[in-house]
Amino acid sequence: MNSFLVLIRRELRSIRKEKTIIFAMLIQFFIAMFSSIMLMGMMSFYDPTTIGENSPVSLKVGVVGHTASPITYFLDQKKNIQVERYDILDDAEQAFKSEKIDAIMSIPSSEGGIVDMDLFLPESDTESTIILMALNDPLKNAEEYLREQNGINMNFTDIEGKSHTSYEFLYAIIIPLLMFFPALIAGSIVIDTVSEELEHKTLDTLWAAPVSLNNIFSSKIFAAIATALIQCVLWIILLRLNTFDVENFGNVLCLSIIIAAIISFGAAIIGLYYKDRERAQFVYSISLLLATGLSYLLDPSPFNLITRLATGSQYVGFSEVAFYLIPLTAISIIFFFTSKRLAAAKA
Amino acid sequence: MSNLLPISKREITRLRGRFTGRSRLFVIGIFAVAVILSTVIYHQDPVISKSIYNIGVFPNGPHIADERFNVIPLDSLPDAERKLEQKEIGLYIIGDRVRDRPDDRSQYTVGALSQYLERQELLRISDQYDVDQAFPLRIEIHHMAKDSEVEHFDVYSQPSLSDILQEDTESLPSLELDPPALPEPSAPDPESIYTQTEPSIPMDPAPIPGPSQGAPSADPIERASDSAVKEQLKDFINDNGMPEFKAEFASDEEIIIPSLLKPPIPVSQVLIAFFYVVPIFFVSIFFTSSFMEEKTNRKLIILMSAPITPFQIIMGKMLPYIGYSFLAIIAITLALGGNVLLALAIFIPIMLFIFSIYLMVALLYRTFKDQTFFSMMAVWIVTAYLVAPAMFTGVNELSYISPLTLAVLMYRGESFGLSEYLLSTIPMFLVFFVTMLAAVRIFNEEYLMGYRPLYRKLSEAIYLIINKSHLNISMVYMSLLLIPVVFMVQLASIVIVFKLSLGIALGIMFAISIVTEEIVKSAGFIVLLQNRMITSLKSVVVLSFMAALGFWIGEKLLLFLTLRVMSESLFIEALFSSGVFLIFPLVMHFITTCTVCLLTKRWGIKFYPVAIIAGALIHAAYNLFIIRGAL
Repeated sequence: MNSFLVLIRRELRSIRKEKTIIFAMLIQFFIAMFSSIMLMGMMSFYDPTTIGENSPVSLKVGVVGHTASPITYFLDQKKNIQVERYDILDDAEQAFKSEKIDAIMSIPSSEGGIVDMDLFLPESDTESTIILMALNDPLKNAEEYLREQNGINMNFTDIEGKSHTSYEFLYAIIIPLLMFFPALIAGSIVIDTVSEELEHKTLDTLWAAPVSLNNIFSSKIFAAIATALIQCVLWIILLRLNTFDVENFGNVLCLSIIIAAIISFGAAIIGLYYKDRERAQFVYSISLLLATGLSYLLDPSPFNLITRLATGSQYVGFSEVAFYLIPLTAISIIFFFTSKRLAAAKA
Repeated sequence: MSNLLPISKREITRLRGRFTGRSRLFVIGIFAVAVILSTVIYHQDPVISKSIYNIGVFPNGPHIADERFNVIPLDSLPDAERKLEQKEIGLYIIGDRVRDRPDDRSQYTVGALSQYLERQELLRISDQYDVDQAFPLRIEIHHMAKDSEVEHFDVYSQPSLSDILQEDTESLPSLELDPPALPEPSAPDPESIYTQTEPSIPMDPAPIPGPSQGAPSADPIERASDSAVKEQLKDFINDNGMPEFKAEFASDEEIIIPSLLKPPIPVSQVLIAFFYVVPIFFVSIFFTSSFMEEKTNRKLIILMSAPITPFQIIMGKMLPYIGYSFLAIIAITLALGGNVLLALAIFIPIMLFIFSIYLMVALLYRTFKDQTFFSMMAVWIVTAYLVAPAMFTGVNELSYISPLTLAVLMYRGESFGLSEYLLSTIPMFLVFFVTMLAAVRIFNEEYLMGYRPLYRKLSEAIYLIINKSHLNISMVYMSLLLIPVVFMVQLASIVIVFKLSLGIALGIMFAISIVTEEIVKSAGFIVLLQNRMITSLKSVVVLSFMAALGFWIGEKLLLFLTLRVMSESLFIEALFSSGVFLIFPLVMHFITTCTVCLLTKRWGIKFYPVAIIAGALIHAAYNLFIIRGAL
């Protein structure tokens, strides 16, 4: 046990010395940063008000025709939309061309409860998209009103709530990514350290010491898992500091570590079999892709389970997390029984 | 060329030898299973946020068939209240009423449910009522140029709005309609709005929506817009939640229905554009690994002792991988039915950019772990740089930073100009050019085999790039060549701070860009100082001027290109329009670089960060003065 701890310490020292952990943290910081930009992009399409947070979208809309229609009423209700009424279309056109207004609505009277109107937008795709997104909300309200006038009532129109895009993006994508990325890194570290020993032939020197082959390689695996643990804890702390709650802290951490262990044992098997880094890393990458796909078939999948745990769902708990101890046990048994043969085999 | 091809041939043989026999079968097997699995999962309509919301539903509530909701059947009100109170559920539905909590988690659940139920209700009414009654508001979109957008010779060819609407009205079938259901104030005749010269009678505001009036009237007449409604409804019913492929948010003369309008998220196009990047990443990893192996085995040293130039070795090793990437681009474009030539024009600069990043990884790494993490960093940085701006395609002109935006436009069937193409791709070509230049200069045994801290390796690289017999010219091209790096850092900073309020965003962006500029301008000088090649005060001043001159030339060239594409971006104007007269920025660059160089020479290299801060403060003061003057 003592020699095993010494070996783990040696591995951790090497990781610290090479600033590996700093690179790992930098990568994850980048993921978080990148994700927030992606989220911003998506949000700006779903919810035009998020565009306005950065460069306020205030529109001037010229209305011609039936200027007292419900459409005009709902446009007037929006603080960021100013309605300019014109008597004839030519005047509105002049105002549009000289950039006094951003869009023109030509609204005829309702015919049989239906309004077939025209909307004139700038030629620029960027401008017309933003204008249309900003106008869509009052237009939907007007449509709803006209529908009611036709005697059609939609249920549940009074419930609103908060825009859930950011919530789902954070809990279903960002948190699983941040919690499982350390596992991916742990696997990479294992491949690197295993193939480094094998390619540089330093394993022979270690073999001379009174330690078993399994002890040598499992110390590398445990060191990699330890780095994953540190990163996960740091991420949860960082998320909490940013007021993002990660509920079920213990279960979330437990699942992340179990997944890191499964990946690390798998990576060790690949590294031992291929022996050179180039092939081992390639096979490891595509195997991870496959494993991610396969995990989707499980219910709940690791991604889904961590999402539900982090949101504080009371319908998942340790029993679901403990399920993943089964593949971990299986893969670790395979590793311990085959490591010697794998190291000796020719890939 | 005769030296280059044998190296390429050897590289292909080496790569082929990596996966033979069982290994090859295993890799092909994994790939095949991964592809089949992905297809199966895709066709099952994957839901990533499965059961993320817990909701309680009474028997008289609606049927919820969305996998995001974990539906808990309820039958007693006290039990429902207890579950809601204890946060076991986010809300519960009883009949057509929804009961929730005021906290965020419950409100997000309400938001998601509201979106789901709105869709279900639209499906219900489309099923129960005629489309003209269920979707009574139809909007025909017209695009029109403003005076500032119209070329002079185009003015007379633009049809007037009256003409456009007149055409539309003529094309409508004549309708014999019942009196409108809505009690209308005296509205002008739709025809009269095109010809009326007298102001119309002011209208009263429309009545505030109240309870529903009237009854569904069966209107047997088919309207021109009905077919558009039916078409959109069909898409709405068949929508599987995945973003659709659409040329424009709303194209000319398209009829839109507000409740059926989907947001124009370019996710699918960005994903398709990213399909191109993934194989290039994989190929680049093999390219880096090849360098690593040859370094470890010292085969590279043997190659370097042969009568071949470093350029031939690097290009010879890179060429097969460029070839593979080239084939991948063509294959993907053909599979997706895109324009091959256009795809090559867009993705070749991206490919060269990725290869240049991986070439630097190959030259700078020291250990296996280094290589893994440098490669991962490279993947993420390149992905962020390419994908994040493309997400804003059509919403913000800053999206033209990334060539993936051009690919998104290509797959949307939209066009882009030469200026947009050059803005997206020139930095990529320049990065490749600079990297190749640096790689050739640092390609020696001592540098490649040495294990030193990263900053030492970088400074050694700069030292090797500088031509010691022409220091002045070296300083000019050092600053000039590093412009693409500064440009990329500055544009990336814009994307990073975009979400913040304007004041904070500008502050952070200025800080990042000013510090980057000062480091780039003084980097060559500091390396020379480190190597004791600067002795006199005169040389400090002259070299500072040369560095400032190089930077100024590059900056103004980029300014010209950028303003052609993003003239409306306040960020870009603030970044690059740093002076009315061209001479002012040159003087400023000279003063700040000279300050950094003089202070570092006087206090020593250890105080370089302090000198950078001093130079950055002067730079910031100048920028503030210019902005205040401009405002």
